[in-house]
Amino acid sequence: MKVRSDILRTYQTLHTWTGICAGLVLFIGFYAGSLTMFKPAIEAWATPPTHQLTQIEPQRYDALIQQAYAYSDKAKRSLTVNFEQDQSPITWYEQGGSRGINLGNTLTHATLDKNDQLQLQTTPRSELGTLIDQLHRTAGIAGKLGDEDLGVQILGIAAALYFIAIVSGVIFLLPTLVKTLFALRTNKGASRFWLDSHNLVGVLSLPFHFIIAWSVVIFAFHHPLYDGLQAIYGDKPLFAEDPAESNKQIYNIEQLPSIDTYREKVAELAPGYQLKSIEFSRLTSDAPTAALEVVTDNQLMRGGFSDFIYIHAFTMDIAYTSIMPPGENSYNTIVKSFFALHFGNYAGNTGRWIYFLLGLMGAFLFYTGNLLWLEKRRQKSPQQTRSSKFMAALTVAVCLGSIAGVAITLFANKWLYIMGTSINHGYLWCYYLVFFATIIYSFSRGAAIAAIHLQQLISFACAGIVMTTVVTALVPQWHIWSTFDTSTLIVDFVAVVFAIIFYVAAQKTKHRALNGEENSVWYIGKTPVAQPALNLAESK
Amino acid sequence: MSRLTAEQKIQPHWWRKTLIGVVLGLSFAYSIIAIFAWYGPGGIDAPVKVQLNMWLVGLIWLLCLPFVYLFKTAGQAFKYLLIANMVGYAVFFALRTWA
Repeated sequence: MKVRSDILRTYQTLHTWTGICAGLVLFIGFYAGSLTMFKPAIEAWATPPTHQLTQIEPQRYDALIQQAYAYSDKAKRSLTVNFEQDQSPITWYEQGGSRGINLGNTLTHATLDKNDQLQLQTTPRSELGTLIDQLHRTAGIAGKLGDEDLGVQILGIAAALYFIAIVSGVIFLLPTLVKTLFALRTNKGASRFWLDSHNLVGVLSLPFHFIIAWSVVIFAFHHPLYDGLQAIYGDKPLFAEDPAESNKQIYNIEQLPSIDTYREKVAELAPGYQLKSIEFSRLTSDAPTAALEVVTDNQLMRGGFSDFIYIHAFTMDIAYTSIMPPGENSYNTIVKSFFALHFGNYAGNTGRWIYFLLGLMGAFLFYTGNLLWLEKRRQKSPQQTRSSKFMAALTVAVCLGSIAGVAITLFANKWLYIMGTSINHGYLWCYYLVFFATIIYSFSRGAAIAAIHLQQLISFACAGIVMTTVVTALVPQWHIWSTFDTSTLIVDFVAVVFAIIFYVAAQKTKHRALNGEENSVWYIGKTPVAQPALNLAESK
Repeated sequence: MSRLTAEQKIQPHWWRKTLIGVVLGLSFAYSIIAIFAWYGPGGIDAPVKVQLNMWLVGLIWLLCLPFVYLFKTAGQAFKYLLIANMVGYAVFFALRTWA
């Protein structure tokens, strides 16, 4: 396809600069997003199995709930009934709550023993999954901008740049697209190989990238966009008033309907869905709510891992439901599909693995994009430009540093429990210490050396995750980890795979640094002297 | 295709075109969605439609951003997007007044 040369040049420039500006934060958003596909598995893996109490028979939930309410006022404020086998039958927050991020979250787990006596255990809640999710949404950028997370807003802007980068990338690829899409030329130098793989991955996962870019912009800026819509709606309210608010009656907790009643309600409202949990809130107030979390493996779901139905806990009047029968409200179906396409929740675990790979491929796209930027600016002399060295060091530090931070945090998890420290604070310390240390290291030693060492570090940390699982299972003093749920072994399996990948990658990087192209920021060669990325004397 | 002269080629005008795309692209997106919100299927009161409207404002806006650079100059980008805005809002207010 022929495209005018000035158009090509315009979009090439656009693609380069939007990519280089947004690529690094998007890299973190994408690879951490891949991990959040398995957030429940990561949280289950990170929590000692002894924290979960034994499940009970379905008909005993009602007795347990009433005993818990009689025992604790905190339970009356909010209590969750879990129906999954590997979880405690009920839990409530002793400290903190389920909204937002709360590092001091403490859960009380409760169950009934054989004689219907209440059994309790209070433990800090591992927020590892939530923190990885937060890393995914903010790229680790802390702070607030008004009521919004600063990191979310920055990723929103990055996603808009990324949308421009997608469109411009496709446009300036058009003339050569058909001829070279599946050409993966390994014999024409590193630069050509990176370019071919960058184009191949980019074009083949285009629909995924399109929906991700669009949805991230919406997630970040939905408040101002709704404010703008209000001007169009005029006197019409954007959202209907909650009908349940007219009922101000206060009910007695003993009148709470049985769990079976809620199950029947779910069967009626969401046929084909499984009830996963119920969260009862504010039961003693005039707005008692039951949030029913329901799941299915073959439908588009509104939440990351489930659909939600909010009902009045006593009258069962619906306050909100994300499930509407098909055909009844096509707008609900359309909007829900946007969320589900971002969350990748519509095809069970198979779909999650596909999204996991798509996310990693996205991260690969941003990483190779930066490498291509560097290749284009390569000077034909051993001395490379300051901007190239800076960008190379920054790319290596941010991408590999963030992965190393997460890997070491996962490695530290079990040891943090054994040492008895505050786990959630420990996670944050681990991540940010590693992340900032890698930035300092990368800029002081230069990108070439940092790339090798950081990949080795990631490989060792991943190997350490698995070894920790093995060692803690064997040593009797560390008994909190001695039994484990085999379903969480998938986390260790992925760690093994990554340990191998990063080990091989580190070897290859080292080989290139020593034997590759000499006129490159990646060359170390015969003079293994550190080349600082920022050396002010050099720039003169 | 004959070679283009310097004046026929696209002028970069990066910052001005970007600003025009961000501001006039957004207001244009609202004008289209205003018509759709009131006169599209289900009208203004259809449940959950407000959410779709919000998503679509974002989408139209995003689509304006990369294509604003196709205009030869920032001045042209401004002119045509302003006309698009005027047409969009004129249709909307005409419908609101007479429909």
